[in-house]
Amino acid sequence: MKGEILTTKGAVRAEFDFWVGLYLDKFLEGLEQKKFIGNKCSKCGKVYIPPRKICGDCFEHIEEYVDLPETGVLTNFTFTKWAISERRPRQSKNIKMIGLVKLDGADSAMLLPILETEPENLKIGMKVQVVWSEKPQGQPSDIKGFKPIGGA
Amino acid sequence: MGVQPVIVSAGFSEHASKRSDVNMAELMNEAIEDALSKCNCTIDDIDCFINGNMPAFEGANIPELWMTDHMGAKNKPFMRVTTGGTTGGSIAIAAYYAVASGLYDTVLATAFEQQSCGSTTVGLSSVALGEVSIYLELGYDYEKLRRNMGAGAAIGVGAYQAVNYMRRSHCTEEDLARVVVQNRHNAAKNWWTHLKMPNYTIEQVLDTPYISYPLRFGMVTPASDGSCAMIYTTEENAKKFTDTPVFVNGVASVSNETAIVTSEAGGVGQIDPCVQLGAKISAKLAYEQAGISFPEKEIDYAEVYSPFPNQELMWLERLGLFEENTAHIQYREGITAPDGDLPVNCSGGVNSTNAIGASALERVAEAALQIMGKAGNQSPKEIHTAIGHGWGGALNLITLSVLADQSRRKYKGGI
Repeated sequence: MKGEILTTKGAVRAEFDFWVGLYLDKFLEGLEQKKFIGNKCSKCGKVYIPPRKICGDCFEHIEEYVDLPETGVLTNFTFTKWAISERRPRQSKNIKMIGLVKLDGADSAMLLPILETEPENLKIGMKVQVVWSEKPQGQPSDIKGFKPIGGA
Repeated sequence: MGVQPVIVSAGFSEHASKRSDVNMAELMNEAIEDALSKCNCTIDDIDCFINGNMPAFEGANIPELWMTDHMGAKNKPFMRVTTGGTTGGSIAIAAYYAVASGLYDTVLATAFEQQSCGSTTVGLSSVALGEVSIYLELGYDYEKLRRNMGAGAAIGVGAYQAVNYMRRSHCTEEDLARVVVQNRHNAAKNWWTHLKMPNYTIEQVLDTPYISYPLRFGMVTPASDGSCAMIYTTEENAKKFTDTPVFVNGVASVSNETAIVTSEAGGVGQIDPCVQLGAKISAKLAYEQAGISFPEKEIDYAEVYSPFPNQELMWLERLGLFEENTAHIQYREGITAPDGDLPVNCSGGVNSTNAIGASALERVAEAALQIMGKAGNQSPKEIHTAIGHGWGGALNLITLSVLADQSRRKYKGGI
């Protein structure tokens, strides 16, 4: 087919909410007091953080809440120069490190920024410690990230 | 011939306009626990999971991966099915085939929707704005198109169906209101439904403003959060699980025209949106499999997918339960009330509760529960044969499940 083809562009605004539910709510409440709250399956003893309604292995309701420490172990990581914004990915000046952190005593891990270290220092199994934001507001952003214990 | 699929249980979550006390996974879990609690089946007995909802209504893609743990589906076969408004109906059919094929013994069919998380109109704008395709054909660009469009979402489809249906059948707005009142009264007798209105009157319905003529605010379906789960299994397993098995004797899923008023979009030249040939064909297919020759006499109960009251009248006719253009007269005479000759939508129907992805599965679930005698608003009539119907999608997909209290599978194939 020859000739110019007419194209049109349009945008639909799409906004979404997310109900955290009663279990995740408890976790966010804990963050406000700079505390990690998880819950423990009474059948298999698995400790989940954030807390959740059902144990994936046992299909049991989890009722027992447990406090978890501020320290944990890095179980996986990556680092990148790319930052993702709402519009398009862009390169940033700083290298951003992201890691899966398993808190001591927990069986599930959380994906969070790794701070105050250099990419070459990252190792699976290294001990890390939480960095809280100055004024916690009961939001996921209250956890700034994790840093290596003793500095690195 | 395949294996005879049997329904042993059906469960619901509580439905409301905003279930902000639970997230999607927890909402889905509620219905599964309800379904398991109603039979002697545990999560370990389930061999396969089927799950679905309207895609992206909650802004969460692939939600089933998040839900796996909450469904008890870890390390088990899992399939997601999503076909718009008929998602639930397609899930019921997928569960039927999973058992009928002999691949799986016991299948958990699950569906959910948490509409309060997102904007339903945004979600629907991609599938069911009544005027989209007609304007596109006229060469409108997107901005003009949005400015020119009237009623969006499913009501944009329902309104055109209603106008044509009213012209054909000479039914009045009062007749439409009567359908709504019956549904809302029925919903009030079910624990899980959304719009419970035991004292709703025809006058109150007609006192509300039009949303899109002839459909008024008081007539249209709500947007609900909720979930539904059903357990399908083999005849042999069913004996262990329950005393009241319900046999699925026929299923069909047919789409042959657009839901939208247009001469071209579907390529079928359809200009009267209340003809619903797809419904007629799916009924013929499913009834033939079930060995039903006289649906108007043999079917004791119907759950039809009717967000708008005119659709309830239309479907009952197109599915062969009433003669064309007579359904509204049956409502005047109380034939369709829970204690009537042909009870319809004793659950309150989609008109009272609409968690979209789950709605069509809830129709099958309620039809099964009525045969079991375990429904929330149980009809006093003895129900042997029932149908659960679904409608949705821009291409007017019709799903149908025919259920009975005994096996009558005589499928000969073809139409």
